[in-house]
Amino acid sequence: MTRGTGRILAALLAAAVSLCILFPAAAPAARDVAAELRKERGRLLEMKAREEKTVRELTEALRKEKLSKGRVGEMQALLKRQRNLLSRIDRKVSALNGRLDLAEKAVRELDAAHGQARAGLRRAEVAALAGQMAGAGDPWRPSARERELHFMRVRLAADAEGVARIHQARERKEVELSGLERQVAVTERKRTREKKVSDTLLSRKEEERRRLADIGREKKRKEKELKSLRARIARMESVVSRVERQVKERERRARKGAAGGSAAGARAEAPRRFASLSGGLSAPLAGKVVTRFGRQHDATFDVTIENRGVEIEAPSGASVKSVGQGEVAFAGAVSGFGNVLIVQHGGGLFSVYGRLETFLVKQGEAVKRGTVVGRLPGSPSGKSVLYLELRAGGTAIDPTSVIPPDS
Amino acid sequence: MSGQPSLWWIDWRLYRGAVVRETIGRFIFFCLLGFALLSLLLSGGANRFLAERYAITAVLRADVPSSEADGLARKVASLPPVRSAAYRDPEKAWKEFLLAYPGLDSPRDAGGNPMPGYIEIRIRPDRLTRADVGLVVSALRSVPLVEQVLSGEEWFPRQLRAGRIVSWVCRGIFGAFLACFFLVGRLQERARAVALAGDFAFLAERGVPAGRLAFFRAAAAAVSGFLLAAAGTAAGGGALFLFIRKFPFLEAAIGPPSDLLLPRTVAAAVLFSLGSALLCAAASLLGWRAARSGRK
Repeated sequence: MTRGTGRILAALLAAAVSLCILFPAAAPAARDVAAELRKERGRLLEMKAREEKTVRELTEALRKEKLSKGRVGEMQALLKRQRNLLSRIDRKVSALNGRLDLAEKAVRELDAAHGQARAGLRRAEVAALAGQMAGAGDPWRPSARERELHFMRVRLAADAEGVARIHQARERKEVELSGLERQVAVTERKRTREKKVSDTLLSRKEEERRRLADIGREKKRKEKELKSLRARIARMESVVSRVERQVKERERRARKGAAGGSAAGARAEAPRRFASLSGGLSAPLAGKVVTRFGRQHDATFDVTIENRGVEIEAPSGASVKSVGQGEVAFAGAVSGFGNVLIVQHGGGLFSVYGRLETFLVKQGEAVKRGTVVGRLPGSPSGKSVLYLELRAGGTAIDPTSVIPPDS
Repeated sequence: MSGQPSLWWIDWRLYRGAVVRETIGRFIFFCLLGFALLSLLLSGGANRFLAERYAITAVLRADVPSSEADGLARKVASLPPVRSAAYRDPEKAWKEFLLAYPGLDSPRDAGGNPMPGYIEIRIRPDRLTRADVGLVVSALRSVPLVEQVLSGEEWFPRQLRAGRIVSWVCRGIFGAFLACFFLVGRLQERARAVALAGDFAFLAERGVPAGRLAFFRAAAAAVSGFLLAAAGTAAGGGALFLFIRKFPFLEAAIGPPSDLLLPRTVAAAVLFSLGSALLCAAASLLGWRAARSGRK
């Protein structure tokens, strides 16, 4: 859930809770209004729960979208790398094929040369034999014949050496050829493997794109749903406000006779009434105000929201103390606020503590200023937030205007 | 001896016809013998024939430059037993080889000319002996430029032996002809002595000693023999000269005609004439004796 949405919910729920708390005080006079208010409150809570769920789903969708986009980007990078690798392999295969062709040509040429050399050697042997039988040269010149025989041996040895040399060269080329063929086979196998990886990556990327499109569609649907819900909540809130105004009007009329004070004066006196509370006031815990009272602009959703309380950031697990003496009017879970504790200080003054983890007092229990009423939850970041709201005669007032800071 | 008749050429005076016939016969015989003698002298029996056909081949290493090979050939030619030494470069060796083996006219498949250069060394006919050939071969083998020396070690001794035999046979035939000449001459002298026995008896009765008569007859035979032999040898030499000029291939077996005029050849001819004179004298004496003993 985003911070803006939380604030909206907090405002709405605070109003609902306040009404819920205030309603019993005016019960004898407006039982039908109270019933309507309860009904509307129930519907509002239900809608808010739905909104919260939608926001959660939207947030989840956004998270998934982000994850999916990350995965798509990662796969694109992988695919690019894979394409580069494939093109390198292709180049290598092409070069190897070129070398293979050259080697095959060389082997063919050496084969031909070997055949010619062998044929030449055979011819020379035949000629040598024929020469021997015919008495090569002049038989009356034995020295010349001896020399010719020697030269024939030299010639045959040279021919044989040539044949052997060509044979060796051919064998070397064949070894080189088989090595190249092995290299080509290995490279082809590698190429096939990498192509398969590329195909897998491509199909995964396509799948991820489809999933991203689904998420996008889901996100749009949720946004639309959220927008619709927010419109309905706004309408509901106006209804609740109207009811609240009716309640206030009744209360004002009821108190008019008893106290004779004016409503405007009561509103103006609300902070003073809190200040003059018996036993004084103190901060519920030491911390930093992270959400201020009143109208605030939410940048995430680009809406202006009305905060009826403040949020104080404090260390996780910090003790929450009562701001003044009074009696625990409510301790329980409220949607959007978690565990909520309400202390009635009398005279229409209430203090509300939201987002608690545990309660250390029970409903109906009297508390004094500084009594530890609960604890904040723990979080991995080491920081937790307390929601604090003060109400005087049904009007929310800025807690920072009546409670001394860092007291 | 004044008042006594001269005994010189007594046979010519007493029996002219027979002497003329015999002289003609002997001249012809001497022509043939002179021809044979000069042929033997020039050819040395079979030596020249063998020397013309025998050569030592010094096969050079492949990387020997032509200039060094030529220098080596000149050095070898200066050895005493060597008649000539000629360097043949690899190209020439290849051409000679192709001439000997015309079936091998294909180009050199193995790349480059496989034939090495060589030096052909020929030995003087009069130095064609195993010792002299061995001297040249050992000198060549000690030269680093020479890879191999082909000297016919297998067949050359056999040829030398055959050559010696042929030489002895030729000389034997020549000797046999001489012996025949001697025997025929003796018979002619005897026959003439018998025929002139009456005349010789008449002279003896008149106080001419038989020994003196025999001496003058032998002396006349020797002089006529010498002259006939010289003339016959000269005629034979001339015939040999013409013969060799007419058939030059015989030069390889006999030798050049110019060798006929060498002093040693002339000296040999003179010696032969003298020997012939002695033979004629001996035949005359022996014929005289035979006639005298037969008469008794």
